Amino acid sequence: MSTKDPIDLRQDRRQWLMTSATILGASLLPLPPVSAETSQAETAPQPHPAKTAEAKSGARFFTPSQHALVEELSETIIPADSHSGGAKAAKVADYIDQVLRETFDDNQKTLWRDGLRLIDVMSQHYHGKTFVNATPEDRIALLTVLSDHLQMTDLPEVRFFVELKRLTVTGYYTSKIGIHDELEYKGNRILKEYVGCDDQGPASS
Amino acid sequence: MAEPEVDLTRKYDAVIIGSGAAGGMAAHVLTSHGLQVLLLEAGKKLPIEQELRSMEWPYDNAHRGFLPPDSHSLSFNEYTIRNPPYGPGFEKSKHLHSYIGSSDYLKNIVVDERENPFTGTNYAWVRARCLGGKTNIWGRLALRLSDYDFKAKTRDGYGEDWPISYGDIAPYYDKVDLYLGITGVKENLPYLPDSIFQRPTKLNCAEVTLKQGIQKMGRVLTQYRAGVTSDGLKHNKYRSRCYGRGACERKGGCDIHAAFDSPTGLIYPAMDTGNLTLRTNSVAREITVDPQTGKASGVHFVDSQTMKDYNVRARVVIVAASTLESARLLLLSKSRLYPNGLANSSGHVGHNFCEHVMGPGVAGRAKDLVGKPPTLDDGRPGGFYLTRFRNLAEKHPKFIRGYGFEGGSGSAMFPRGTDTHGFGASFKEEVRKNQGAFIGMGAFGEVLSRYENYVELDPVVKDKWGIPSLRFHYKFGDNEHRMAEDMKETAQEMFEAAGFEIVHVSSRVLTEGWSIHELGTARMGNDPKTSVLNQFEQSHDVKNLFVVDGSAFVNASCQNPTWTIMALCWRSCDYLAEELRKGNL
Repeated sequence: MSTKDPIDLRQDRRQWLMTSATILGASLLPLPPVSAETSQAETAPQPHPAKTAEAKSGARFFTPSQHALVEELSETIIPADSHSGGAKAAKVADYIDQVLRETFDDNQKTLWRDGLRLIDVMSQHYHGKTFVNATPEDRIALLTVLSDHLQMTDLPEVRFFVELKRLTVTGYYTSKIGIHDELEYKGNRILKEYVGCDDQGPASS
Repeated sequence: MAEPEVDLTRKYDAVIIGSGAAGGMAAHVLTSHGLQVLLLEAGKKLPIEQELRSMEWPYDNAHRGFLPPDSHSLSFNEYTIRNPPYGPGFEKSKHLHSYIGSSDYLKNIVVDERENPFTGTNYAWVRARCLGGKTNIWGRLALRLSDYDFKAKTRDGYGEDWPISYGDIAPYYDKVDLYLGITGVKENLPYLPDSIFQRPTKLNCAEVTLKQGIQKMGRVLTQYRAGVTSDGLKHNKYRSRCYGRGACERKGGCDIHAAFDSPTGLIYPAMDTGNLTLRTNSVAREITVDPQTGKASGVHFVDSQTMKDYNVRARVVIVAASTLESARLLLLSKSRLYPNGLANSSGHVGHNFCEHVMGPGVAGRAKDLVGKPPTLDDGRPGGFYLTRFRNLAEKHPKFIRGYGFEGGSGSAMFPRGTDTHGFGASFKEEVRKNQGAFIGMGAFGEVLSRYENYVELDPVVKDKWGIPSLRFHYKFGDNEHRMAEDMKETAQEMFEAAGFEIVHVSSRVLTEGWSIHELGTARMGNDPKTSVLNQFEQSHDVKNLFVVDGSAFVNASCQNPTWTIMALCWRSCDYLAEELRKGNL
């Protein structure tokens, strides 16, 4: 994936979906349809073998390996930097797990299960490794492919990326780290006086 | 839970239906005149501070402040692609709310759409059935109307003039200002009269830039005129002054009651007079009529919890159930004497339904604020109000009437700009650096009052209590769509004049009802053939019946209606008390 040539996502996904059975094992099949005409209806709720086990109250939505993958995905969306912790430190994967565990929306659950699977299929295709085992640069390169093809909303991996970013952003910026460390939000406290533009004195803490 | 015992055997001086801005004000004024008043509210008395939890951090909330997963609030798209009643298709959700109910703090305040169905044209109808109604969660923008509004027909020939002038209502606006508290800055604008303001909130830097940028265009930006007490109110022990605690932008109310709400601002003080009796969980079915005199005799209501029916008698009946519910109740009150519904000899009840059109607006960035240290920008009741400028001195070629903008700028608890493209370190830094630099505004424009826009009773569909639902026949017209087009253009033009980088321009007109400013369904007027109420919100047909909420409006103007509802109601209730004393009712 070092090439600077624009990636043809539709062309590429034919290849990775064809080879995915041997790479990942048949247990992960069936994969979503490949055709460019894939409609949203075709990814509508399908019966899922794991559903009954996860329906138990308190049970996690993600398996441990899925959870590890979501941690790395969310950290790639909002990484730690010199200013503050990232999505992993803010426990965004736990937040997403809760959302998916509690949601009544089976389409959303399916999108996440399929999406996580497709991420690893893609990672194998482009980098020969699972996403968790890929280098940070390779992870960024992979998500960039999806981020650059947002208009292809018929592809489940693109829809998954949008959903991954949405829930990561929501989980991160509603966390302690997001509000206090990253944004240094000054509100939700009692003020003597609101400081407006006219009377902004020297910076005070 | 049983209601506290309320004496329903006695005859009250007045019974009020509804406890929002109008019903609360009627209770305040009539009890201060020494009248014995019964106030009926369809919803519960909520432990409102526990609902609003204004200072709860998102991470301390089980769902980060969002609705629990068993609840759903309707989105713009859902309003667009589905038709009312908005119940079918959402079977998985235990509770279904209007669009505003998308937070954990409002879930018990707004009604469940399935218990309160309506039919007809699409409408984002926001209803709050609880003590105080929508005043618990209102946006607090408290504006006066002027003779540009009251005499709009004289100015442009459309519709009807109000039967009052600004001079008639001005003293009552003053009373509302002083009794409830309002913050703002005097501007001496003929089309947007000043209130008696308490200490104003301040503009932040991007807002000042916009104010200065549009001055050369002759346009005015002023501090948000908020129905919030910034200095406190010595005569009211239930309300605190505003402490600028931040997160005021969060959908929800003010749990220290610095922002006006009807219970702490009006109803509790009225109860302290000893003249007010309150009964919640009381859903009015019908206003009863004395067949001998033709006058209103009382109210027939059902207890929302026990489903038992009750009757109560009163010398005067005051309807304050909200514009659409009040029209519904009048239409429900059919009798041999009044076959078209009560107070409806004109046939205008439910008609001339109007409101504000909204949606178009602009978001931008003040580039000089990018990368600046974080500031506190939401520790105040609101940002700014950009006043009307269309059809004042000059006549716009494409539409009549006007619009204003509400807006704000700066940091918020949840950052603006998370729709920045991409992800990773650069995305994170962009969001951080830009968080205080965003500024945005959206327009509220007058929807013309039209006889053809109306509600009626649905012949089939009923609510949870077996009461016939409303059927809507309501659509924005050409004037609104042409105005919306202008809103978008002027929004962009003003942000460009201020030197902002334009981030997003919205031309989308939101679903009818979105402004939550429905008005006009029992309009006032001097002619009983074309109006329902006289200038004192008294029925032309039934002398001891008053309708004191937004239904009385003759046009919507483009100003937010709550302050005018209360000023009109105060005036009408002073008149009512005097007429009752004289034995004229």
